[in-house]
Amino acid sequence: MRKVNYYEVIILNKNSIIQKIKEAIRMENSTHHESAQKHVTGASVYVDDIPVNNQLLTGRIVTSPFAHARIKSFDLSAARLLPGVHAVLSGADIPGENQMGPVIKDEPCLAEREVNFAGQAIFLIAAENEEICREAEKLIKIDFEPLLPILDLKTAIDKDSALGPWRKIERGSVDSQLKSAPHQIQGELHTGAQEHWYLETQSCLCIPGENREMFVYSSTQHPSETQTLVAEVLGIGSHEVVVEVRRLGGAFGGKETQANHEACWAALLSNAAHRPVKIRLNRDDDQMMTGKRHPFLIRYAVGFNDEGEILAADIELNSDGGAANDLSYAILERSMLHADNSYFIPHTRVRGRAWKTNYPPNTAFRGFGGPQGMAGIETVIDRISRYLGKDPAEIRLKNFYGLEKNNITHYGQTVENNRLFLLYEKLVKSSEYFERRRAVNDYNSENEFYKKGLAITPVKFGISFTTAFLNQAGALINIYKDGTVLVNHGGIEMGQGLNTKILHVAASELGVSAERIKINATDTSKVPNTSATAASSGSDLNGMAVKNAVGKLKRRIAEAVCEHFNKEAKGPAPSRADDITFRDDEIFDSKNPERKIGFSDAISICYLNQISLSATGYYRTPHIGFDREKGQGHPFHYYAFGMAVSEVLVDVLTGFTKILRTDILHDVGESLNPNIDLGQIIGGYVQGLGWCTTEEIKWDSEGHLLSHSPDTYKIPTVKDIPENFIVNLLEGYPNPNTIKRSKAVGEPPFMLALSAWLAIKDAISAVGNHRFEPEFSIPATNETILLSIENLKQKMQNAPATEQLSVPQPEQTS
Amino acid sequence: MQKTISFILDGQIKTIDFQKEIQLRPTTTVLNYLRSLPNHKGVKEGCAEGDCGACTVVLAEPGKNGNISYKAVNSCLIFLPMLHGRQLITVENLKSSDGALHPVQTGLVEKDGTQCGFCTPGMAMSIFALYKNNSDPGPEDIKDALTGNLCRCTGYKPIAEAAAEALAHREMDIFSLQEKETRKLLKGISRESIHIRTARQDYYRPATLRQALKLRNTCPDAEVISGATDVALRVTKKFELIKEIIDLSGIDELQDIADTRDELIVGAGVNLSDLLPTVRESFPALYGMFTVYGSRQVRNLATLGGNLGTASPIGDSLPVLMAYCARLMLENESGQREVSLDDYFRGYRQTVRQPDELITKIIIPRPANGTIFKSYKISKRKDLDISTVSAGFRLELNNGNRVSDIRLVFGGMADRVRRADKTEGFLLGKKWSRETVEQSMEILRREFTPISDVRGSADFRRIASRNLLLKFWSETST
Repeated sequence: MRKVNYYEVIILNKNSIIQKIKEAIRMENSTHHESAQKHVTGASVYVDDIPVNNQLLTGRIVTSPFAHARIKSFDLSAARLLPGVHAVLSGADIPGENQMGPVIKDEPCLAEREVNFAGQAIFLIAAENEEICREAEKLIKIDFEPLLPILDLKTAIDKDSALGPWRKIERGSVDSQLKSAPHQIQGELHTGAQEHWYLETQSCLCIPGENREMFVYSSTQHPSETQTLVAEVLGIGSHEVVVEVRRLGGAFGGKETQANHEACWAALLSNAAHRPVKIRLNRDDDQMMTGKRHPFLIRYAVGFNDEGEILAADIELNSDGGAANDLSYAILERSMLHADNSYFIPHTRVRGRAWKTNYPPNTAFRGFGGPQGMAGIETVIDRISRYLGKDPAEIRLKNFYGLEKNNITHYGQTVENNRLFLLYEKLVKSSEYFERRRAVNDYNSENEFYKKGLAITPVKFGISFTTAFLNQAGALINIYKDGTVLVNHGGIEMGQGLNTKILHVAASELGVSAERIKINATDTSKVPNTSATAASSGSDLNGMAVKNAVGKLKRRIAEAVCEHFNKEAKGPAPSRADDITFRDDEIFDSKNPERKIGFSDAISICYLNQISLSATGYYRTPHIGFDREKGQGHPFHYYAFGMAVSEVLVDVLTGFTKILRTDILHDVGESLNPNIDLGQIIGGYVQGLGWCTTEEIKWDSEGHLLSHSPDTYKIPTVKDIPENFIVNLLEGYPNPNTIKRSKAVGEPPFMLALSAWLAIKDAISAVGNHRFEPEFSIPATNETILLSIENLKQKMQNAPATEQLSVPQPEQTS
Repeated sequence: MQKTISFILDGQIKTIDFQKEIQLRPTTTVLNYLRSLPNHKGVKEGCAEGDCGACTVVLAEPGKNGNISYKAVNSCLIFLPMLHGRQLITVENLKSSDGALHPVQTGLVEKDGTQCGFCTPGMAMSIFALYKNNSDPGPEDIKDALTGNLCRCTGYKPIAEAAAEALAHREMDIFSLQEKETRKLLKGISRESIHIRTARQDYYRPATLRQALKLRNTCPDAEVISGATDVALRVTKKFELIKEIIDLSGIDELQDIADTRDELIVGAGVNLSDLLPTVRESFPALYGMFTVYGSRQVRNLATLGGNLGTASPIGDSLPVLMAYCARLMLENESGQREVSLDDYFRGYRQTVRQPDELITKIIIPRPANGTIFKSYKISKRKDLDISTVSAGFRLELNNGNRVSDIRLVFGGMADRVRRADKTEGFLLGKKWSRETVEQSMEILRREFTPISDVRGSADFRRIASRNLLLKFWSETST
C-alpha cells in the first residue's frame, strides 16, 4: 500500500471534490451501465427496498405439499382469528377470475379442487409480519386425497398426458431419404431443467388506491400482462391498475409470466385487507414454486453421406411442460425453429409436443427452447464426426447454410446476411483450432487420468417473437420547460443494459447530452399494451419506438425554431424545418449554421408558442409472420450469429472439469454499446455453462424438489469460468433495418456454451480413443461424466478387437 | 454480566438493548437488522444461507498483529450479538462523505462489473475486504475472495477485472484515515461477558472459558455456537426460535494457535481463515481441503471446533484431520480429556462428547518426514459446495516401496466419517503398485454401502471413492 503523509491526506480530501466533479462529468459521458453508480453504492431500489408506511403487511402463500391431490376440505377459521392476521384467502374469495394462464387458461391463481404440483398456491395470508403468517399457516387444516402424479417425461408420453397437440414442420421426403442415405444414426438426448436463479427473488408490493385502484410494484418482465391479470383476478378494468417496474435483480425469462402470480396474490391480499401488502418469496419457496427451463427428451434419426453431409433428419422434441401450459408451446415452437441450428438439412421433419407432468409449469428461460433444439442437432453432428472419424469442425463447416444456395430453412425462411463462414474462418484462425486439436490429441495420448477435449459450435438465432403480433412497442417522451427530458418506454431493465442503450438512442437522436435525459421506471399508465421484455427484443423494439417519438418531437421543435429564426433572421432564405439539425444540445439550421439556439431556449420558445412537448412513439416489426398450421413462414426479422471454441480438461477419476480456454466471436451488427454487449455475451455463455455442467435439478420420488437452494443447486462461481476467456465482437457488419444497425444480444450467446459441453464429451470420448460413442446428456455433472467413462470402459472391455476396428479411427485433420 | 451489545455502525457506537428494542432478538441476523434500518437497504438477501454473498458485509476489529483486520462475512449467518466489539461496514459506508466513490466501487463501474446490480453490494464488500488486506493479492486470491459471491448476469470476468484494477492502485482510503478513531471507539466497548435475556430467549456470550464451561453445565440444552455458520440456518431456513445459545466467539482462550515442534494445537474457536497460513506449509493436505471449504465469508466465521461439534458425515475437515491422527480436547468444569478422532464419532452426528463438555482444542501431530498426505473432495461444483465424497489419505512407504502405514478416511460414504479398515488392512505390507491398488479398489467397493441423495447416487459415490485410491496412487507413485 502506498504510504501517504498527513499533508498529502489533506490535499487528497480537498482534491476529491474536484475529482468528484470530474468523475461525474466523465461518467455521464461514459457508456457504462446507467445505474452502475447506484448499484455500487447500494442506492439502487428494488421492490423490497421501496419505503412503505407502517400499514404494510407481509403476504404469504400456502402451497401444496403434494404433487397431485384432490382437496377434499379445508378450514381457515382458526387462522383468520389469529391476532395480527388481516386476511386469509382461498380461491373462493377471489372477486374476479381465478385464472393465471398467459396463453391458455389452464392455471388457477389459487387451486380449488385439485393441486397439480408440489408448491402450487392454495391459500393466501396477510399478517403484520412473517412470523404471524407462519403461525397462521400452521392453523390451516386441509384434507387432501393424494392422487398418482406423473413425474417423468417418458411416463407422460406413455400415458398420453399432453398439454396440447403435436406440432410439425416438414420439408422434403424424409422417410425415403433416411432409408436411402449411405449412413444412418439414431438416438436420444435428455436435457435437464434449469433454475433461473435471478439474485432477486420474485417480489411484489401492492398499494391500494382510492375506490378500486391498485398500484403494483412488481418484479416483472411483462408489466402489461401483470396489469391485465391483476385486473382480472380483482374483477376490475385494466385502467384501474398501474404496474410500475424500476428494475429487476435479474430475470432471464423467469419473470416473464411467473411474476404475475406474486402480483396477483399481493393484489388480492391488499384488496381484501385495504392495506399495502408485500410478497417476497424466500429463495427456497421461489425455487420450489416457480417453473424452470423445460427438460427435453429429443429423439433423432439422421441420414448422411461419406462426407458427413446430412441428407435427412427426423427430429422429435418432447418437452416437459409441467402442470400447466404457461409458455410451453411458444417455447416448443422456438425449439422446433432452431432444431437446425446453423445447418442446411434438405429433408427435415421436426415434430414437437409439450407434455403435462406434475411439476411447476415450466417457463421462459434465456434461449426459450433454442438451447434444447440446438443441443439435439449438435449431438447429431458430433456423432456423425465420431462415426466417420473426422473432426467435428469439418462436419459443421460442410453442413452450414450456404450463402447463395442451400440457404432456406426447414420452415421456409431464407437465411440472409449469413455470417457463419465469416465467423468460422476468423475464429478457427484466432483460436488456432486445428493446432490445438493436434495438441489435445498429443496430450491425450500421453495422459491416462486427465483428458482434454475441444469443440467449436455455432449459433444462428432467430430474432423476433414467433407470435408475430407481440413484435410491437411504444414510448412516451416528455420534454419539460427546463429542457430536461423524461423517456418512458415499455421495456424492462433487468441488468441487460436496456435503459443505457435507450438513453443513448434518445440522446443521440435528440442531439442532447445524456445528463438531460432520465429513463423513467416502466409504468403501464405511461406506455400501454406492451409486450414482455423477452426474446432479446428489448432494444430492437423499444429503441425504435423511442426513435419514433423523438422524431415527432424534433419535427415540432424544428418548426417552432424555424419560425423563431425566420422572425429574427435577415438572411436571404428563410429556414426550413427539414434543414434543422439537433446536435450537442444545440439546434441550428444546417444551411445557415449561424442560426442556432440552445436546446433549453428552444424548449422555452416551444412552450411559449403553445407547442406540445410530449409525444408517443410506436414501432412494429415489418414483414414477419409464421403459419403455425403449415409450419412455414418468415418468423424472424433477422438472425444473430455467434461461434465459440472451448477447450476443457476432464479429470477422468473424479469427473471434475475445468474450462481451459474459450474463444467467442459474436455478431451484434453495429453494437449500440460494446461494453454492454460483451457483458451479455460473457454472462450468457457462463449461464449456458451452468446449464451444461453443474446445474442439476433433482426431485424425490413423490415430486418434491430436492435442490431448492444454492446449498444443493449449483450455478457457476467465479472459479468455474474459462481460465482464458477471449471474447470479441464481429466488427464491420452492420445489420440493415434495425435501431442504429445493431442486433439483439440477450439470448444467442447462451447457446455458445454447447461448445464446452461437447468439448467435455470429446474428452470423455478420448478415454475410448474416440472409438465408442459416449453416453451423454445435459447437464454433464461430474456424476454424468464419471458414469459415462465407466460405461465406456465397459464397452471397451466387452468389444472384441475386431469390432473395435469396425468404427473408423479418427484421423488428424488440419 | 452486561445485558446490551455495542458495535460501530456508520462511524458511531450503536448499542442495542434487546429489552427495549423488542422488534429485535438476539438471534436476529445482521442482514435482517440492517434491512430494517432506513439507510442500509444496500445489503441484499439472495439466499439467507450464506451461499450467494449478496448480503456480504465487512467486520473490522484489531487483529492479532495489531492491525485492524477487515473480514467479509455473510450478514445472513451472523446473529446481532456477534457484532459486539466490532465495526460493521456496509456498502453504504464505502463512499467518502463528499460522495466520492471508493476505488473498489470505481473499479466495478469502470470495468462494467454490474448488470442487474443485486449482487453488486456484496461483491463490492468482498473486494473491499481484500483491498484492506495488507497482503498483495494475485489473480487466484481475487478469485478466492469472490467465490462466495454468486452473480447470474456478468459471467464474473468483469468483476474479477474490477477487483484487479482496484487492487492495483491501492491507496489510503477513508477507513485508513479513521483507524485511530475506530480503535478508540472499539476500546471503549466492554469485553465483559454478555447475557441477553428476552421473554423467549437466553443468549450467553461468555468472556472466559471458565464461564463457558459453567454455562455448559447449567444449560445442557443450549446450542453452542462460535461462527454459527451451521446453527444460523435453523433460524434463517427453518424459522426456529432457539431458546438458549452459548456463543463462544468472545473467548480469547479458544483463539490460540500453538505451533510446536511435535504438534499443532488449534483453539476450537480459531476461524479457518486465520488457520490457513499456519497449515499451508506443514499440513498441505489440510490446507488443500480448507481452500475448497465453503467460501471466504464462511471460512472467516467457521471453526474447527464447530466442524467437529457438528460431526457431520460430510464435514469437510474431518477425514483429513483423521488422516493426520488428530485428537481433540474435551473439557468440562471438572477437567479435560483427550480423544482421538478415531474414537470420537459414534453414529450419524453422534459423538462421545458428553453434554457438559466443550471442544476446546484440536491437536494435530506433526507427521514424520516422508509421510504422504492427500485430501480430496468430490462435489458437484468444485468450490463452495458440500462434499458428495471426501477423503483424507495418509501413506508411509518403506524402502522396498511397501506400505508400512496407511490411513484411508472417507466422508460421505457412511453415517459418519470412517476409515476403510479392510482396504487399509489389505494394502498394509503390500507393494505400492497399480496392481495392488486396483485390487484394493475391489475391497473398498464392498466395504461401504453409500446412499443416493440430492448430491449424488450410490453408484457415483462407489465409483468416485474407488477412483480416489487410484488417484492417490497416481499422485504418489514415482
